[in-house]
Amino acid sequence: MSAHHILSFRDVTVTYGRARRGQPALENLSVDIACGSLTAILGPNGAGKSTLLRAILGWVPLARGEIRIGDQHPEHALPRLAYLPQRHLIDWDFPITVRSVVEQGRYPSLRPWQRLRPDDHQRVERALAELDLGAVADRQIRQLSGGQQQRVFLARALAQGADIFLLDEPFAGLDLFAVEELTHILRSWEAQGRTVLAAVHGLDLARRVFSHGLLLATQLIAAGPLETVLTEHNVDLAFRRAQCVHDPAAPIPPAGHSP
Amino acid sequence: MSPHDFLLAPFAYGFMQRALGSAALLGLSGGLLGCVLMLRRLALMGDALSHSLLPGIAIAYLFFGPSTSALFLGALLAGLLTALGSALISRLTRVKEDAAFGSLFIVFFGAGVAILSRLPTRLNLEHFLFGNILGVSAADLRLAGVTSGATVLVFVLFYRGILLETFDPIFHRATGGRSGLAHFGVLALTVLNLVAALQTMGVVLALGLFLLPAVSAYLWCDRFGWLLASSVAIALACSAAGILVSYYASIASGAAVVLCLGVVLLASLLCSPRYGAAARILEYIRERRGIRHSP
Repeated sequence: MSAHHILSFRDVTVTYGRARRGQPALENLSVDIACGSLTAILGPNGAGKSTLLRAILGWVPLARGEIRIGDQHPEHALPRLAYLPQRHLIDWDFPITVRSVVEQGRYPSLRPWQRLRPDDHQRVERALAELDLGAVADRQIRQLSGGQQQRVFLARALAQGADIFLLDEPFAGLDLFAVEELTHILRSWEAQGRTVLAAVHGLDLARRVFSHGLLLATQLIAAGPLETVLTEHNVDLAFRRAQCVHDPAAPIPPAGHSP
Repeated sequence: MSPHDFLLAPFAYGFMQRALGSAALLGLSGGLLGCVLMLRRLALMGDALSHSLLPGIAIAYLFFGPSTSALFLGALLAGLLTALGSALISRLTRVKEDAAFGSLFIVFFGAGVAILSRLPTRLNLEHFLFGNILGVSAADLRLAGVTSGATVLVFVLFYRGILLETFDPIFHRATGGRSGLAHFGVLALTVLNLVAALQTMGVVLALGLFLLPAVSAYLWCDRFGWLLASSVAIALACSAAGILVSYYASIASGAAVVLCLGVVLLASLLCSPRYGAAARILEYIRERRGIRHSP
């Protein structure tokens, strides 16, 4: 594994508004993500998986600590982030074709009124070809299979020329075949040295797809190669602690006393 | 009367020219804005916003008479107050934003009707609610020209930003887009255009010129650019047709335009080859026939 750490978290703490009594969503997280690794962010609901992704993107302010993106390697001085939204947040009836969605990956590098340059078109075509979407490029996005729909957004991230890919629950709502497809793509990306960070709900799924893991329960439970992270002890700790964090004061009522 | 005369004779009158000009200008910008409002699911909010302009207009009319700039400022203030007020309510209390907006606009509308009903003649109330084709002054036409021009300019310059903000605001924000600005810009342009549409369409019907063309075009188009273009084309054609209908049938201009748009919408809902009701029903019947139940 490369010695470069493309993402470094130091003592990262995120607290949402006073409404939740200052309960931190992420607490004292310190961990490094190696360049080119395929990492699953794991943990129970409310463990801070999405918060971590949002913190990397700079959408939630850090109460404490810092996130360093990039390393000394000259090509990684300013890595670009690509973010994949959850599937249910997309309006699949939107009047837009596959190619237009992938072209959106080029928008950030253009001035608002500037047209796409030949180089942009080339990148779009390459992204479409790599994810095998050439044949359906002019279809409206509703007319695709679930796996194809997911690949459209992966292609947009590729066209962006991103170095770090942040995926929020990429496997949610996919059928078995599409899961296989996405697994294959993520593995080949890993082989090509692309850094992927994905919030994943299922532990079994994570075991089958990912090489590295980051187990959260508001605090970091474990990080590293997946087999060392997902030990019985760690999983138990993560899922039990999460319950305590949610509801520290409520005792479990004794059985048989309900009226 | 030859068809040529039938179409052109009414426009020998100055007020008909101004009415057509104002409707066409607003159809142009309304057709564009309507697409964004529909796709962002802000259609009902736009409707609420248009109703809430009434007290601003009424108060301005009470103090300054039928001055275009006063009415414009009054309506703008009322619109902003509703938007800000509902945002504040949803943040400071338990009430959610849609309920806040819904409650606030009804109160505003009631206040507007109350003020206008105190005026000596009932004509004014009807005029502001449903528009008055005879009332389009040269100043109104200029206002329509400026708002329409500004809207088209914004859409031409920031086409990609608008597309991205409408389709995937999260991605827009993640890639450094000014998401909040884009959202506010659309609302501000909507209020501007609603106010400019006041004389021809009235507060209640103005949104029809925005929304109906967009919804009709949505049933035919699979690309954003085509959606915008078709929506504008439908809006322009129906405003011209509506003004003619209003002239010959002597019905209120706003109502005539909305009814023309309604006919197009109905036709689209029924006949759209891919997304229309007829196509869906035929598909369903064909599927039913395809299934053979074993005895």
